[in-house]
Amino acid sequence: MPIHEISGCIGCEACVKSCPTDVIQMDRERNKAYIAYVEDCQICHLCRLYCPVGAISITPEKSIPVMVSWR
Amino acid sequence: MSKKTDLSRRRFMGAAAGTLLGASALSSLNLNAAPVKNQPKIDPQAFSSNLLETDVLVIGGGMAGLFAAVKAHDAGARVLIVSKGRLGSSGLTPFAKGIFSYDPATANMSIDEFVAKVSESSLGSSNPVFTRQLAEYSKARVEELKSWGFFDSALYNNSFMRPIEARGIPLHERIMITHLLKEQGRVVGASGFSLDDNRILHFRAKTVVLCTGSGGFKSSGFPLCDLTHDGTVMAYKIGAKVTGKEWNDGHPASAVNSGSCYDNWHGQVEEKPNITSVDIHHDLGVDMNYTAYVLGPSSQGMGPPGGPAGKGPGERSDGPPSMEQVSGGPYVPEAFRRAGGPPPMPPQQSGFLAGLFGDKKPSGPPGMQGPKVGGSSAGMAIHKSEGLVPVDETGLSTVPGLYAAGDALGSYMSGGIYTQIGSSLAGSAVQGAIAGEAAAKASQKAKAVELPASKLAAVEEEILAPLQRERGYSPAWVTQVLQSVMIPNFVLYIKKERLMQAALAYVEELREHHVPMLLADDRHKLRLAHETENMIITAEMKMRASLMRKESRCSHYRLDYPEVDDVNWRAWINIWQDEKGQMQLEKQPFGTWPV
Repeated sequence: MPIHEISGCIGCEACVKSCPTDVIQMDRERNKAYIAYVEDCQICHLCRLYCPVGAISITPEKSIPVMVSWR
Repeated sequence: MSKKTDLSRRRFMGAAAGTLLGASALSSLNLNAAPVKNQPKIDPQAFSSNLLETDVLVIGGGMAGLFAAVKAHDAGARVLIVSKGRLGSSGLTPFAKGIFSYDPATANMSIDEFVAKVSESSLGSSNPVFTRQLAEYSKARVEELKSWGFFDSALYNNSFMRPIEARGIPLHERIMITHLLKEQGRVVGASGFSLDDNRILHFRAKTVVLCTGSGGFKSSGFPLCDLTHDGTVMAYKIGAKVTGKEWNDGHPASAVNSGSCYDNWHGQVEEKPNITSVDIHHDLGVDMNYTAYVLGPSSQGMGPPGGPAGKGPGERSDGPPSMEQVSGGPYVPEAFRRAGGPPPMPPQQSGFLAGLFGDKKPSGPPGMQGPKVGGSSAGMAIHKSEGLVPVDETGLSTVPGLYAAGDALGSYMSGGIYTQIGSSLAGSAVQGAIAGEAAAKASQKAKAVELPASKLAAVEEEILAPLQRERGYSPAWVTQVLQSVMIPNFVLYIKKERLMQAALAYVEELREHHVPMLLADDRHKLRLAHETENMIITAEMKMRASLMRKESRCSHYRLDYPEVDDVNWRAWINIWQDEKGQMQLEKQPFGTWPV
């Protein structure tokens, strides 16, 4: 998983706005952000850094594993 | 089943009938089953459409866009910014941590020497007008940034918002601009859609400054997946000349967790920015690709790059201490060679600010430690070398009223190679300010042009088309095909005629057959559909320009033409669309403006 979990969201939308690749959206009824397009997460951590309450956790693997030429 | 679907099925049967292969393929398709139709989650008919008006429209919310807006406002124009992402939190800007400042009091060379040395490193491919501009104005821009609090935080949104809010400049974020509007031979505005709700926005403007960055092919491991050459392609479509498509950033990613931009850069995004001073290099990136091509990737990484730690995405980095040397490969000018051993350690950045804000913990780009793999920045050219062709020092394009700045402008500030750490961020600030001021002045002389309703209706139709289609291809799948065609080392980096022709054939197929069938079922996919089209057109430009340049120079390396050819190729390549919609290419000699 890249962006892994949003826990303790206060609904400020900072993560939605600061994600360059539009991965996170707002659930308007619950007033909480949710991970909508995890496959497009570039694992840049801007959402986590802009979140004022530390609600976002991220892991370093892509949701679709990356195949490299050599490891 | 709709009539349209029925018709396409009959056509398919007609084409396939009569061969055994066709018959057997058809039987496995289970044609009695209903086709899977695209069923949008949002109603394309429910989009509202608004028209906003301004003197100067700035497109893009990175470093160039910030200064373009501020300086256009300060020159007396009404300004409006529109950005696909958030101000200071989209494109490459948020990840660039070094900013170059030429300080005449402390610099170890004069501006003339600086310009000459960059030209020497770039094998003549730099435009001295823009190199000089960088040196002359970088310090002033850095001082302004300091006054806005830029150096006080690792995150740039707050400091970028300060001058925008102080001036009351309207800011429209998370709007993807897809079209530039042209009437009576000049740019008159732009159109796009909101990522947050069902809105199409049209902007009427007297002048436009494109600050949309460059782009790549959404490769893993480099923070440019939101950059898809949108500005270049929309300008190309209204007749602007673009340049620089044959140059390649060759930045690697770490082989471990290679998809993580954050880990590749060792958490550098959490650092406050700092100031860099004069230190000119000839660090290619493509030399690593050459070594990997000859020897294969190794446990030591991709091979020998050189130079100091980069302070921003797309900037050259150190290689591992043990480097494998291979014969041949890209030419490096005598003065910039580092024969044998490892590259020198990066010099300590001096100066009060660097000392105050510099971060002591280990950080930096991939390559500082551990094995690495190529292709992470695939599709991105060298900073400031690709984008709109300028007709003068203000960044005015070949389309009247349309300016560009930063990585959206093919200024060749350092030519087909990146020569000075931190100059990309500084160059964006410098060029943005100059273009913004020029666009403001030009807007005072320009008349506001009405946007014909029929034109806006046609644009809206094009914007929403992927939502309207019942059958077609997902943008993610088409992007994956494009990546498979373009990213391999033997296509994009170690270039040769036959493989580039093969890749071009693939790309043409994608452009002709898949672009008109891109699907979307929500606004996110609608964005991906438009981004995918932009990447495909860019891929075609990259292949055509790389085929045309039958030599090797800087970051463009051809295995079949490995030498620098100064007789025929002291020239840039411009690309434009002719009246029949065909892609055309021409040479423009180094040191000249377009005719």
